[in-house]
Amino acid sequence: QKTIKWRMQTYAGPALAEHVVKPAIDSFNKIAGDRMQIELYFADQLVPTAELFRAMQRGTIDAVQSDDDSMASPTEVTVFGGYFPFASRYSLDVPVLFNQYGLNEIWDAEYSKVGVKHLSAGAWDPCHFATKEPINSLEDLKGKRVFTFPTAGRFMAQFGVVPVTLPWEDIEVAVQTGELDGIAWSGITEDYTVGWADVTDYFLTNNISGAWAGSFFANMDRWNELPDDLKELLKLTMDSSHYYRQWWYWGGEASLRVNGTKMKLTTIPDAEWDQVEKAAVKFWDEIAAESETKKKVVDIFKKYNADMQKAGRPYRYS
Amino acid sequence: MSYELIAILMFSAMMLMLMTGQRVFGAIGFVGAAAAMLLWGTGGSDIPFSAAMKLMKWYPLLTLPMFIFMGYVLSESRIADDLYRMFHVWMGPVRGGLAIGTIGLMVLISAMNGLSVAGMAIGATIALPELLRRGYDKTMVTGVIQAGSSLGILVPPSVVLVLYAMIARQPVGQLWLAGVVPGLMMAGLFVLYIAIRCHFQPRLGPVLPAEERDIPLSEKLSLLRAGLLPLGIFAAMMVPFVNGWTSLVESSAIGAMTAFLAAVLKRRMTREVFETSVRQTLAISCMFMWIILAALGFGAVFDGLGAVRAIEDLFTEQLGLSPWMILILMQLSFIVMGTFLDDTAMLVIVAPLYVPLVQALGFDLIWYGVLYTITTQIAYMTPPFGYNLFLMRAMAPPSISIHDIYRSIVPFVAVMVIALALVMAFPQIALWLPHAVYSK
Amino acid sequence: MPRAIELYVRYVEAVNRRVGRIAMYLIFVLVGILLWSSISKTFFLPSLWTLEMAQFMMVAYYILGGPYSIQLDANVRMDLVYGSWSPRTKAWVDAFSVLFLIYFLGVLLYGGLNSTIYSLEYGERSPTAWRPYLWPIKIVMCVGIGLMILQAVAEFFKDLGRIRGEQL
Ligand code: NA
Ligand code: NA
Repeated sequence: QKTIKWRMQTYAGPALAEHVVKPAIDSFNKIAGDRMQIELYFADQLVPTAELFRAMQRGTIDAVQSDDDSMASPTEVTVFGGYFPFASRYSLDVPVLFNQYGLNEIWDAEYSKVGVKHLSAGAWDPCHFATKEPINSLEDLKGKRVFTFPTAGRFMAQFGVVPVTLPWEDIEVAVQTGELDGIAWSGITEDYTVGWADVTDYFLTNNISGAWAGSFFANMDRWNELPDDLKELLKLTMDSSHYYRQWWYWGGEASLRVNGTKMKLTTIPDAEWDQVEKAAVKFWDEIAAESETKKKVVDIFKKYNADMQKAGRPYRYS
Repeated sequence: MSYELIAILMFSAMMLMLMTGQRVFGAIGFVGAAAAMLLWGTGGSDIPFSAAMKLMKWYPLLTLPMFIFMGYVLSESRIADDLYRMFHVWMGPVRGGLAIGTIGLMVLISAMNGLSVAGMAIGATIALPELLRRGYDKTMVTGVIQAGSSLGILVPPSVVLVLYAMIARQPVGQLWLAGVVPGLMMAGLFVLYIAIRCHFQPRLGPVLPAEERDIPLSEKLSLLRAGLLPLGIFAAMMVPFVNGWTSLVESSAIGAMTAFLAAVLKRRMTREVFETSVRQTLAISCMFMWIILAALGFGAVFDGLGAVRAIEDLFTEQLGLSPWMILILMQLSFIVMGTFLDDTAMLVIVAPLYVPLVQALGFDLIWYGVLYTITTQIAYMTPPFGYNLFLMRAMAPPSISIHDIYRSIVPFVAVMVIALALVMAFPQIALWLPHAVYSK
Repeated sequence: MPRAIELYVRYVEAVNRRVGRIAMYLIFVLVGILLWSSISKTFFLPSLWTLEMAQFMMVAYYILGGPYSIQLDANVRMDLVYGSWSPRTKAWVDAFSVLFLIYFLGVLLYGGLNSTIYSLEYGERSPTAWRPYLWPIKIVMCVGIGLMILQAVAEFFKDLGRIRGEQL
């Protein structure tokens, strides 16, 4: 029997992929052996990230790891992928939202409409600013050209941030060549892992989202062709990837804040940052007004955050 | 089909296609497209166009037409004539002085543009006829101009280093700075070679006759002002860039604008100069961009079919070589491939294969960028395939035969190999300047 | 050569020359956009649109200028062997090898049309804060690649002409 071969491209470059996806795919390949091999490609390696969705839909690439936002999925839920402002506070919020609050079903339905299988969503790191100049107030954010996600960029533009989108692998260079003043794309673990800590000096401890939401996707036909046991193995693989990231980021964020030497920490006082949180509530309503599906998702976010609030400590402290 | 077989098949098909003399982008693009259609499976037909979208997002490529335009404005408007006079008068009294002055001229031209084309054009049109008229040895001066113009891609700004930076994902600013000292060192080695040769064989580079040297000091000093122009253009472009006020692509636009304004102010921007500069910029930019487009598509197919893994496996596992051996082997393979592959295509196809390997072997990618550029320069100059050779053949007066051109580069290539060896042995030659400037 | 072919070559070359001559001035638009980018960054708030607009301009520049660059004979060939052939041999080989070029351009156009249809169907926007629609630039690319094919076919006819000793 012929070995099934998949090409999977991740949004992440090699240094980051080493943690967010590669260990899981290596395990998969070891176990599946001659029956199936997934060849992993990194950011922009076969196709540019913005073309990922289309390439997968057409079958040029069999599977993708990315958030919905960066790969520009033509779905109603795209805006919620990546960093939807203040939708999550901890990385455990993401799997709970998907598995217990009904996001899985909505995602599955939306992607089925466009010929793509939504396989599994997981949590990544929080969204902080890493900048060349210190950010101590909202005023300091004005006019800063920052690499960030499309939706996060749309949201932060009201505070004078100028969002710039470039190929992921070019960011470090772009900070050095002056194309960018900073990055609002990750937590401190990634800043150190991918080298951004070498080109920026300051890390803002306030974040606009507690955890990134990203997913694995596959071309619908390729998925349907898989035998059931390989489907099962792929699910376990993705869960092991999600689990790895849970501890890798959670531990990394704390450890580098305490022990990291490359970036100085700055903080915008809570009272001032409150403006941003308030703006997010407004932003949610704007998005909800755009369509029925979006309203459904926003309502779930609202319900979830209200529940967490009621549950009190340790779920929410304020 | 095994990965090795695909790698061999695609490379030999490309070689064969290139041999037919079809346009390089057509030959490479065809092999990429055909392999995608035959071997990829579902969706393979989308890859060539997907490469076009990838190319669109490669923002540092915006500097390419800017630097090409700059080069054409500089050479077509002949605003470098004064510069040449400056070197001519100041260096005339020395044995081989005019040739040495030409190297100096080339260093300044290099600081104003990112390719070797402008240096070559200026050297061949201004310096070459003068040098021949003064009885300089034709083989020597042909070599001087080719070697000197090759500095264009090592001394910042440099298009080759921009391309390398995109492929290796390394900061352009650091790469440019890393090219400065090796570039100047190489210029110094050229000068040393000329001086020594002419010292022992004065007939190769006779001193100027006494009556020509008799120029009042005041006039000599006023000629130095010509040196302000390149300094001004270089500063207008590089100062805001290094300080982070403008980005790389913005700086290149400032450079293009400054060169254009300089030509207008010096009343050299005639209708004809304007037409030639604008038209040739389009022609050369199109040549580069279409080759890069085709090569990106080829590269994605090559990679997606597993051929890249095969080559990496060959170097690291199967041959069982030490990192330095692999590095030297890679440098040699560039020169060999330079004999049949167009230089831009070589950059876009081969560099993505080698860069991850270099990184995996633990070498510094900024340092490798400089090695890479010097090797590219050597490839530019070694027969039978090389831009500098082509350009020289097109621009040289009829008295200089193709054999003279081939012969002329021998000693200079030797000097470049020495420079390459020095940078390999002492990485600090390349690295101390970027480290000094960018150390946090 | 049949009159239809002569007319084809003449018209295609005229159109491509005109399109290329217009595209060639886009270099100044490109300079303008990049200068505005640095000016707006220094004195006002940086513009959201400059980088992407410059990228679109660059693509239009080299894709639409492509056929004219073929007319200008700017595209390098490897002339190690080719250079030593007689004009007639060159014409024979060119007439054959240009078909490979046409094949490449055909695949490129096929991918481009698919991509453009997708853009129109889903109202695809660039995933950036400026969020421009992508169909305009994709249409420009398809038109440019289409013109490139027309030019390559004209080259084929010109090669046939050369084999028969006619200058088209
Ligand atoms: Na240069
Ligand atoms: Na060569």
